[in-house]
Amino acid sequence: MESEAEAEEQQEFSYQQRLKAAVHYTVGCLCNEVALDKEVQFSKQTIAAISEVTFRQCEHFAKDLEMFARHAKRSTISTEDVKLLARRSNSLLKYITEKNEEIAQLNQEQKAKKKKKLENETKNSIEPEDTEVMESEN
Amino acid sequence: MEEPGGGGGGGFRKELVSRLLNLHFRDQKTKVSRDALQLMVEFLRIFVVAAVRGVRQAQAEDLDIVDVEQLEKVLPQLLLDF
Repeated sequence: MESEAEAEEQQEFSYQQRLKAAVHYTVGCLCNEVALDKEVQFSKQTIAAISEVTFRQCEHFAKDLEMFARHAKRSTISTEDVKLLARRSNSLLKYITEKNEEIAQLNQEQKAKKKKKLENETKNSIEPEDTEVMESEN
Repeated sequence: MEEPGGGGGGGFRKELVSRLLNLHFRDQKTKVSRDALQLMVEFLRIFVVAAVRGVRQAQAEDLDIVDVEQLEKVLPQLLLDF
């Protein structure tokens, strides 16, 4: 019995390690971006430290988001919850609000494209006889 | 997977962000909407960029290498802002 619990713990731990590694990689990429731009280099310890902080903050972010959604009697976290997360700094809130509008617009455009594509496909699949019938009715 | 704007190549993948958040949810039923997930990608990106920029600014001297000391200087404010 004990070994089962241990094994589960091990799995959980190595899963977390894999996530941490993925975060570390992304943080490294972002550091490189800034490094190229500003002509500086970031030490490995710095990248690792930022990565660790980011990983840990995610726990707070996740729990806060969950609380916000629950407070609004929802089980799905919405963009409003994310905006609430960004409340502490005005510039951050502004940035997030702008990004939200960008995302919403992009998604709408994508939806419209998909809808149009679907409409075109449906039109093309209609039999010629049908269109003749429609025309005669007009 | 293409991601909107952001002004650069680096960024968190949606699946990674989703897993990071789901790891800490207390309720099994809690989910993240698609838009909220995309917004969190941006949120995390700006968090890291803020940490990185703060570290750079804390560099009083003209160092070529940015070290952990600088991070220690900016960490308190970073955590307060977020």
